[in-house]
Amino acid sequence: MVRLLKKIFLVDLFQGLWVTFRNQNPKYIYTEQYPAERPKIAERFRGAPRMNTNPETGEALCMGCNLCSLACPESLIVMTSTRNEVTKRKELVTFTFDTSRCMFCGLCEDACPTDALELTQDFEMASYTREGQIWDRKMLEEGPKPTRYRC
Amino acid sequence: MPDATFLDSTELVLNMGPQHPSTHGVLRVILKLDGEKILGTDCVIGYLHRGVEKIAEARTYAQFNPYVDRLDYVAAVSNGLGYCLAVEKLLNVEASPRAQAVRVILTELNRIASHLVWLGTHALDIGALTPVFYCFREREEILKIFEQYCGARLTTHAFRIGGLQYELYEGFEREVKAFCDMFLPKVDEYEELLTSNRIWVSRLRNVGVLNAEDCKQYGVTGPVLRAAGVRWDLRKAQPYSGYEKYDFLIPTGQNGDTYDRYTVRMEEMRQAVRIIRQAVEGIPEGPIMAKVPKVIKPPVGEAYVSIEAPKGELGYYIVSDGSTQPYRVRVRPPSFVNLQALDRMVRGALIADVVAVIGTLDIVLGEVDR
Amino acid sequence: MADEKPAPPKPAPKPPAVMAATPWESDLARELNDRFGVGVCQAYSYLGQNFFVVGPDMVVSVIEYLKMGPGFDYLVDITAVDWPKRAERFDLIYILYSFSRNERVRIKTQIIEGYRPPSMVRVHLTANWLEREVFDMFGIEFGGHPDMRRILMPDEWQGHPLRKDYPILQQDQRWVEENLDGASGQ
Repeated sequence: MVRLLKKIFLVDLFQGLWVTFRNQNPKYIYTEQYPAERPKIAERFRGAPRMNTNPETGEALCMGCNLCSLACPESLIVMTSTRNEVTKRKELVTFTFDTSRCMFCGLCEDACPTDALELTQDFEMASYTREGQIWDRKMLEEGPKPTRYRC
Repeated sequence: MPDATFLDSTELVLNMGPQHPSTHGVLRVILKLDGEKILGTDCVIGYLHRGVEKIAEARTYAQFNPYVDRLDYVAAVSNGLGYCLAVEKLLNVEASPRAQAVRVILTELNRIASHLVWLGTHALDIGALTPVFYCFREREEILKIFEQYCGARLTTHAFRIGGLQYELYEGFEREVKAFCDMFLPKVDEYEELLTSNRIWVSRLRNVGVLNAEDCKQYGVTGPVLRAAGVRWDLRKAQPYSGYEKYDFLIPTGQNGDTYDRYTVRMEEMRQAVRIIRQAVEGIPEGPIMAKVPKVIKPPVGEAYVSIEAPKGELGYYIVSDGSTQPYRVRVRPPSFVNLQALDRMVRGALIADVVAVIGTLDIVLGEVDR
Repeated sequence: MADEKPAPPKPAPKPPAVMAATPWESDLARELNDRFGVGVCQAYSYLGQNFFVVGPDMVVSVIEYLKMGPGFDYLVDITAVDWPKRAERFDLIYILYSFSRNERVRIKTQIIEGYRPPSMVRVHLTANWLEREVFDMFGIEFGGHPDMRRILMPDEWQGHPLRKDYPILQQDQRWVEENLDGASGQ
């Protein structure tokens, strides 16, 4: 008898509706006003790559060891280096990183012995051309510059 | 006067094409219909075939690790675990206890995340529009934990061969415990929305029945097999990565219909929380990486290792010829084998039941096609 | 002119490394020996995983017997490996599991190119799509299969991708031009 009453008066459907109405409370509503406010990103986020320079002297930390290009599954890092006769060390000449084929796995960052190559928290790296996706050393040191829109 | 035969019904061939909101990816199902009743189906797959097994032959073992996440992209951590366990078996090393505990925690969180996607999309296909928002709200919390641990939300690349790459971050245990406490009442909330709802029950009861004998014949594993009544789970039958230390139940169903698969997966989410709570209580101290050489060159041989992924038995068969690159990597995908049973489950049912059955099999086309 | 010293003899080429499998003594191996005769199924074990090497014509009977007798009722996987330098080019592997014994076993055969192994569909229904995939990727046709066509690649594709002589960047250019409107992006 109880079951018949429950069936006629749609008790189970109202139970579900009550759950939905309970969640209409404004304290549960969360909207992020992007691009005015940026989302909170974790420190270890694997985003856009960047080449670090020594903060005091400004010279590149990269020593041209080629470990990152050996570690990359897609083989998209290409670098050339020359040997500096004065200090008897290798010096970086060019460094190319193809972000269009990168899968942001982080193997290059793990392989780098100095902290030269790093995946930052930048995720806005769109470009209008395919060539714009191939980053050279200058672009890597400065980072992507997304257009800022004013609302 | 039209000929009387024009009213004879003939078979209609309908194409549920690769672009379809309910086929969970690019799956094409060709249906042979008599009115609305289904006489037969033919699945056409391969729209997402990326040649992952061929790529594996051109990469080293460590370089292939990120590709493996892209197979079952909804639950990427399990794929990584299976691959790392297979290569570790070939190298005959075992990960350290700390690495094993963290692996279990992340894999179970990943199981909850996968089941949340399943629940949200399955309910959406049936017509219930609210559960998908609630499920993805909870999934957001899990993805935040993944992002803080390894740096990516979906294609995590969380494990390395021999252990872990990253140490646990500050507050990992606290956040995981907070998630567990927050999550259990939410499962009850989903059940309140769906379990006794008459529309849900009538859409799901006795739809897509696959009994235990058929499941074994078709090689179907995972929650589909458990809903048919077979109490079998690879985490209990052939434990890996320290699962024998944790105490959990294996939910089973009775009839093997879609409603039973729903209850089995809901209960699996609760059991996953139970495992996480036990694992997070005592994560042992110690190194996170076992003694694995820098250049991984397993001896000539082969190994097959399989784990209980959220979708079924995920297996890796790796053949090594002694060099740094694997000679052959075969991924045994659970969704591929489960999808074969679609034809059996859907004979004589209606078109709307095809949508329900595809949803309940929980297929991910990345795994089916590789 | 001083005679050239005879060149030192070249060191003998190292034999190719072989898997260090050990013979596997067990009840299952003895049962199979009793049923089929000694030498038909050779049992080995590597890293704790056991496998039998069987001749290609005996595979169906062995798998059928394993299903009926010891209860290996679940066919986990069918796959193949291509060894182009060997006379028997392909290694065909069946992985079986028994629920009652909680044991996994592999059956390996070695077949030459062009051989059509019998299909396993009437013993295990899972074999349907698994064999279609082996055909698609390697070109091994299975005799008696109800529906032998390509499964992952398009139906008119020429070539079998997972063979070792199919380079990783190769495409069926004709199919790409016909179906994808022009040259590919590679």
